[in-house]
Amino acid sequence: MSPISEYELAEALAGAHGPLRIRGGGTRTLDVDGGDTLSTGQMTGITLHEPGALTLVAKAGTPVSDIRAALRAENQRLAFEPMDHRPLLGTTGAPTIGGVVAGNVSGPRRIAVGAARDFMLGVRFVDGTGRILKNGGRVMKNVTGYDLVRLLTGSHGTLGVLSEVSLKVLPDVDAAATLLLSGLSDTQAVKALSAGLGSPFEITGAAHDPEAGETRLRIEGFANSVTYRAGRLRDLLAPFGRAEVQEGKAGTAETWAAIRDVTDFADRAGDVWRLSVKPSDAPALVARSGAETVRYDWGGGLVWLLMPEGVDLRANLGPFKGHATLIRADEETRRALPAFQPENPVLARLTAELRAKFDPRGVLNPGVMA
Amino acid sequence: MQTNFSAEQLQDPGTARANEILRACVHCGFCTATCPTYQVLGDELDSPRGRIYLMKDMLENERVPDEKTVTHIDRCLSCLACMTTCPSGVHYMHLVDHARDYIERHYDRPWSDRALRWILSKILPYPMRFRLALLGARIGRPFARLMPDARLRAMLEMAPRQIPPVSRNDDPQTFAPEAPRKKRVALMTGCAQRALNTDINDATIRLLTRLGCEVVVAEGAGCCGALTHHMGKTGESHATAAKNIRAWVAEMDGKGLDAIVINTSGCGTTVKDYGHMFRGEPLAEDAARVSAIARDVSEVLMELDLPEGAPKDLTVAYHAACSLQHGQQIKTHPKDLLKRAGFSIVEPADAHLCCGSAGTYNLMQPAISKQLKDRKVQTLEAATPDVIAAGNIGCMMQIGGGTDVPVVHTAELLDWATGGPKPPAMRAAQTGVPILR
Amino acid sequence: MEMPEPDADVVSRKGHLVERLQNALPPGAVIHDTTELRAYECDALTAYTCPPLCAVLPTSTEEVAAVLRICHDEGVPVVPRGAGTSLAGGALATADAVMLGTARLNAVIETNYDDRYIRVQSGRTNLSVTGAVEERGFFYAPDPSSQLACAIAGNIAMNSGGAHCLKYGVTTNNLLGVTMVLVDGTVTEIGGAHLDAGGLDLLGLICGSEGQLGVVTEATLRILHKPEGARPVLMGYDSSEVAGQVVNDIIKAGVLPVAIEFMDRPCIEATEAFAKAGYPMCEALLIVEVEGSDAEIDEQLGLIMQIAARHDPVELREAKDADEAGRIWLGRKSAFGAMGQINDYMCLDGTIPVSELPFVLRRIAELAQEYGLAVANVFHAGDGNMHPLILYNANTPGEQEKCEALGADILRLCVEVGGCLTGEHGVGIEKRDLMLVQYGPDDLDAQMAVKDVFDPAWLLNAAKVFPLAASKSHRIAAE
Repeated sequence: MSPISEYELAEALAGAHGPLRIRGGGTRTLDVDGGDTLSTGQMTGITLHEPGALTLVAKAGTPVSDIRAALRAENQRLAFEPMDHRPLLGTTGAPTIGGVVAGNVSGPRRIAVGAARDFMLGVRFVDGTGRILKNGGRVMKNVTGYDLVRLLTGSHGTLGVLSEVSLKVLPDVDAAATLLLSGLSDTQAVKALSAGLGSPFEITGAAHDPEAGETRLRIEGFANSVTYRAGRLRDLLAPFGRAEVQEGKAGTAETWAAIRDVTDFADRAGDVWRLSVKPSDAPALVARSGAETVRYDWGGGLVWLLMPEGVDLRANLGPFKGHATLIRADEETRRALPAFQPENPVLARLTAELRAKFDPRGVLNPGVMA
Repeated sequence: MQTNFSAEQLQDPGTARANEILRACVHCGFCTATCPTYQVLGDELDSPRGRIYLMKDMLENERVPDEKTVTHIDRCLSCLACMTTCPSGVHYMHLVDHARDYIERHYDRPWSDRALRWILSKILPYPMRFRLALLGARIGRPFARLMPDARLRAMLEMAPRQIPPVSRNDDPQTFAPEAPRKKRVALMTGCAQRALNTDINDATIRLLTRLGCEVVVAEGAGCCGALTHHMGKTGESHATAAKNIRAWVAEMDGKGLDAIVINTSGCGTTVKDYGHMFRGEPLAEDAARVSAIARDVSEVLMELDLPEGAPKDLTVAYHAACSLQHGQQIKTHPKDLLKRAGFSIVEPADAHLCCGSAGTYNLMQPAISKQLKDRKVQTLEAATPDVIAAGNIGCMMQIGGGTDVPVVHTAELLDWATGGPKPPAMRAAQTGVPILR
Repeated sequence: MEMPEPDADVVSRKGHLVERLQNALPPGAVIHDTTELRAYECDALTAYTCPPLCAVLPTSTEEVAAVLRICHDEGVPVVPRGAGTSLAGGALATADAVMLGTARLNAVIETNYDDRYIRVQSGRTNLSVTGAVEERGFFYAPDPSSQLACAIAGNIAMNSGGAHCLKYGVTTNNLLGVTMVLVDGTVTEIGGAHLDAGGLDLLGLICGSEGQLGVVTEATLRILHKPEGARPVLMGYDSSEVAGQVVNDIIKAGVLPVAIEFMDRPCIEATEAFAKAGYPMCEALLIVEVEGSDAEIDEQLGLIMQIAARHDPVELREAKDADEAGRIWLGRKSAFGAMGQINDYMCLDGTIPVSELPFVLRRIAELAQEYGLAVANVFHAGDGNMHPLILYNANTPGEQEKCEALGADILRLCVEVGGCLTGEHGVGIEKRDLMLVQYGPDDLDAQMAVKDVFDPAWLLNAAKVFPLAASKSHRIAAE
């Protein structure tokens, strides 16, 4: 099924008889217990773009590339730089904005400006009974009623199918640069990133590659400002070694797109896990993870782990604060291990009851996030 | 805020003023954030906003005050931090003074309360009686733990171990300027201060004359009336205030006065409010004249070209007395003067919070007062100062009771820096003889 | 304002309830005297009042849990209260409710500069969170105007914003985790020091739920290093259209100021009389502030000044030093106080698309004239969050009602142009009955279904947010 309008979408959901796999651009794998595929890919189009108000509204199936193009024309961008899963997962298709929102997909800049969830202004969606619902709107500040916008963002199609999303966008930047430190241990690297992130110099990316021994910090803004901050940061980070400053917007964009998409793991065998923790906890967790290698992002708060196939990362870690998500594995492993971090019993109960309210018949992506 | 006074009620000038104040309040709650008792107790009822509500209810309905209402209003320090904070200019001081007067007239306090308040009102404002009482306290201190009332124990424990001899400087007289005369000023020598610490007036007189002031201690001036005023004993406070007004007006109409200098900021706040206290009374005009030239000593010093002093290797923690920073809105003068004299100045965290002295508050509300004292001492000591300076004897006694760091009046340091003797409290501290404790 | 009929049975059991609460809490934590309860009859919205059955002031998560367990057990409604600074009546009680105050929950639990967060008890005031970390150069970004007094608990309940949210976001963007007590006394952690949810974003759902889903007792908040400096520029224009265009042009030019504040003529006049900030008398005044090092500020302000100059300003003044910056902000910061001096006022909070500013301002002026009331406008122009202040005299019979009617019309206008009823104050009691202007019945039903999950008996702050008629079936089902 591939409805072309919100109305058709509502009809499709109201008339659903069994489980549905909700699909945007199909660039990510979700383990749904059987069922027909319901795609939002035909509901496309940017409904509103007001550059002066930093607002963009688009149908859920609109390709992210279309949105990027429209924004670029006005010198704007999606500041949370959603990751493109295709290289890592070896999938095809085109990421849609609805998919980005449903997965709360963000990139390295999350550490500075926020995740997809933080840029969401409003949603229109259809719940599991076929009701067309809206929440939020198109304005920057809105606390009218409960925040179902954030509840729907990252709900992976389990509470409703998005038909339209409204986003805050930001101006693009003039210039960018990367500071590169070499040869740091994981612990030292996280300390260096923390020092940068705890400075007034507005770091918009903070990543560490332990295999190459490369630690990177990104700065963006007006050209003079980037140069100025790069200099100040180099001084600040002197205790961690001499930082090389790589200026240039295009080069920086390329470097950070690779970090964003974890392309390093694309052609390597093994399961891929994504771990969200307090940055200073990360090195010790990595040490007991059993991972073949890892990549740190978000100043250490996000760790991508390349694990031997079929190994349960959560079992290796033991109890920890944060969450681990299984991103890439063969079917057998995915059947054996839940993709999402199991929640504490209270939150698990609340989650189950919320799903029952929004989807009483259990037709929306059953098995996902459960 | 909406109010519900009848036209008849509003005939009364006190009620009319209360209505005016209440109407300005928008109940935003900003005042709660800087109220010391709210910090300690965390109850809306012990915040300015809560008290305003209690007072509004009591006054609108002309209720006989109940025990609870009185408890919460009694807990107010009158530090007036709320007035500094209020964005709408609510004159809390006039409101709470009015409410205290109302309570005094309509509420039957328990006998022990009445007795205590009577004793305080009959002793503190009178230096000779107070001296005798302090001597008595020294004798009584060993028996403190036998006292049934925490407040009486607090009184005994708070009495200083050493009581200075009477200073003849406090007698009515005129001190000639030691430099070409710039001003003729009256010095208010106060009441309790004359019994507790004579160094302050001595230093002030030396400092002012050195800087070109003719200083008069006016015949007939005494207690400002603040202590009794804040107990709601309006009759007594007006009587003592009236004496001051007459004494100073006589000087103003005689050889003239450029200022009435007050070095106890608690008194300063009250003298500056005489105009309001006596509004609509025969003394109104004279009271307003007195208020118009009443100055904190730091205000006068700012106009006197204090010589710049060489930097000194001495860190002064400046404690801002509430009556100075909130009551009179004098915030920078003392610090500017001390810096000019060459001292390096540090300020404690939460400088806006009261030390818990607040007139007779430390005697009437010892538990809350102690908590505030401990906080204040802790934040002051955090900066490891050599000396603590304040502009109000009440604060000096309160803070001095909790720290080994010497506590002196700002004027004493300025006197020292410009050629006067080192403040006795600092000399004593060096030799290990505690003073003011 | 219509409120649900208090449960006579609950009211009749007051003595018993007070005793149970007293046994569960330290001495002095239960307020039940009728006179004393008057102080808890309203928050910063004084138009509606109702003293609670009693008020409790717990000091720990365990004590909050004990209170909720007792109330749940006894079937007693609970109204949570932060610092009582809500302009929407978020903490208005009902006569059968226990008011749960967070004022004594004010401790700092943990500060972590490496991982850039602070964990506090929820009753701590917004500004004192910054106070706890500023020695190390850090701050907590959301800065509602009431930040001196308002509590983090209330900020979370209302998802409060502030003047600087164009750059730093609102509460939900700066909240990492909470300890929350559910209505039956169950204690749970949501989120933590890490980023984003592992499952559904329940933290995002809690934030802005107006105390209806649970009571937050502790919060982990993101802290940031302060910028090296900030500098405002003041610009005056002859029409709000032009000022609106300037805002639009600045944002389109790729500059992202930390704040863009707007004041109209009535507001400038009142503020000048009160604070004497030296503002030009004109139709529209903008204060635009940027942050960074001196060089960065120069670069951004250069661009902004160029844009501003192109639109023929009445006045264009860049702060040369801290003193002048202080003077530029003085009037804006004292605007509400100045209004309080001259009159009672009702402060609205609708948000509109920035492009609609000129039209909405014109319509507000027309509406105000129709009602015969004065309206002054002072607001965050960068994000379209308006704060029209309707001036009235609360002691004049009938004016309150007139003011409410005008307020409702203005908020309807905000929704009509694509905006919303409330940008940062919350719905509370004040905008409850306007919710159907913005949302359809199904939309509200979906929100109420969330409440059904968290609070099946509808005991928590149940008379707020949703029109009583709309919530009736849920509340009845709960009984």
